[in-house]
Amino acid sequence: MRALGRLLLPLLLLAALWEGAVALLHISPFYLPPLRQVLGAVHALWPAYGQAFMVTLGEAVVGFIAGGLVGVVSAAAFHHARWLRDMLFPLFVASQTVPVIAFGAIIVLWFGNTLLAKAAIAFYLTFFPVTVNALAGIEAVDPRQIALLRSFGASRRDIWWKLLLPSALPRIFTALRLSAGLALAGAIVGEWFGASVGVGAMLLAALFNEQVVAMWAAILTAAAVGGAIFGVVALVEARLVFWRDEL
Amino acid sequence: MNAAAARGALGGLLLVVLWEAVVRLAEVPPWILPPPSGILATTWTVRAALLDAGAMTLFEATLGYALGAALGLVLAMLLALATPVRRLVLPMVVVVNSVPVAAYAPLALLWFGTGALSKVIMVAFIVGFTVFLNALDGLLRVDPAAAALLRSFGAGPFGVLWRLRVPSALPALLVGLRVSTVRSMIVAIVTEMLGSQKGLGWTIFEAVLQIDFVRVWAAILVASLISLGFFAGVSAVERRVVFWR
Repeated sequence: MRALGRLLLPLLLLAALWEGAVALLHISPFYLPPLRQVLGAVHALWPAYGQAFMVTLGEAVVGFIAGGLVGVVSAAAFHHARWLRDMLFPLFVASQTVPVIAFGAIIVLWFGNTLLAKAAIAFYLTFFPVTVNALAGIEAVDPRQIALLRSFGASRRDIWWKLLLPSALPRIFTALRLSAGLALAGAIVGEWFGASVGVGAMLLAALFNEQVVAMWAAILTAAAVGGAIFGVVALVEARLVFWRDEL
Repeated sequence: MNAAAARGALGGLLLVVLWEAVVRLAEVPPWILPPPSGILATTWTVRAALLDAGAMTLFEATLGYALGAALGLVLAMLLALATPVRRLVLPMVVVVNSVPVAAYAPLALLWFGTGALSKVIMVAFIVGFTVFLNALDGLLRVDPAAAALLRSFGAGPFGVLWRLRVPSALPALLVGLRVSTVRSMIVAIVTEMLGSQKGLGWTIFEAVLQIDFVRVWAAILVASLISLGFFAGVSAVERRVVFWR
């Protein structure tokens, strides 16, 4: 209940601030239309916005899950094989200086205008933070704990599942929460290269038609997608990392 | 050169060789994936245009970066002093920040036109948020005992801010500043792709329209090199300022 309050309060405050500022400061609707009007636009065209929400959510989630898995697996591999880490980690770092948006057109060329193309961009943005944080979490494990488990006859697999992965989980989730927004950004940008449905496509259509209300409606839809992914990650985290508050 | 750096160089070299070999042996058409040698050759041929575009993008990125970093830092210091306002404002900032910047780009273009202004403002916006959140986190994460000690010596809130909070926030702030370099280039390029007459983003957009994908790769190469340079520059400044790390 308190968590819900902490979540709703800033949203309500922001909504009140929006409506209040527009009414009191006479802000031109060209910059900020009243919130009522934006919500009205979403309501009037609901099936379209609902569909955009689902499509973009699907693209972001597929890329997000793939990025999370690859991130954790790479971190495990880098931890076990020092030479692999020395060889590949600089490439991982360099990959993040490449403006992925520039790749958008090429990735759409490779995968066609499919869910996979947007998911690939979302993946590209998410795997790196997860790798870095998971690796830091694994490396932070006390070697004496590993030695203890080994002295009890634990296999490498036992040590990974019972010690290394659980110890790294809090940091992995920190990265996942950050990556939720990045995956969404990847999906939206991916839709700019010729997609006809989705939040990114809606933003682009609103830009070409110079419709500020539609643009704000699309931004709110993007916020809803981001909030949905973030919320699920936070829920899973609360269940899996139940000891977090004790840290 | 130590072993780690040698392996890193080997990894990069292997990637390039593998890329070149696969493209040549499998005869991949250049519009799917050009070989590294082809990308380098094209980059060299159109170097004048690419440099021109790169200078424009770098100008927008650095100007927006400076503006955003200054604004984010000042706001973080103000909010570090004003606790009640911070409790009210911070959750709202987090909500606004949860929408990807890319979603705001069309608004910036509509409001500020397709010139450099819209890109500078977009970059300042993202850099401002990143620096603000990092700096605030650092400013607030001080040892309460140290703050109490300074206060017992008669330091006011400004004294504590200047003598304790700012120096101890420097490492977190500099992480924000470093991460922001690459982001500022990416945001400038993203906004240019949506609407502009100059810059690397425009070059990429134009090349896509002309189905000249090797030129897209060349522009990506130049953009990455500029990003790396910007990143290295800020890191060098960081090593001088936070000399005690």
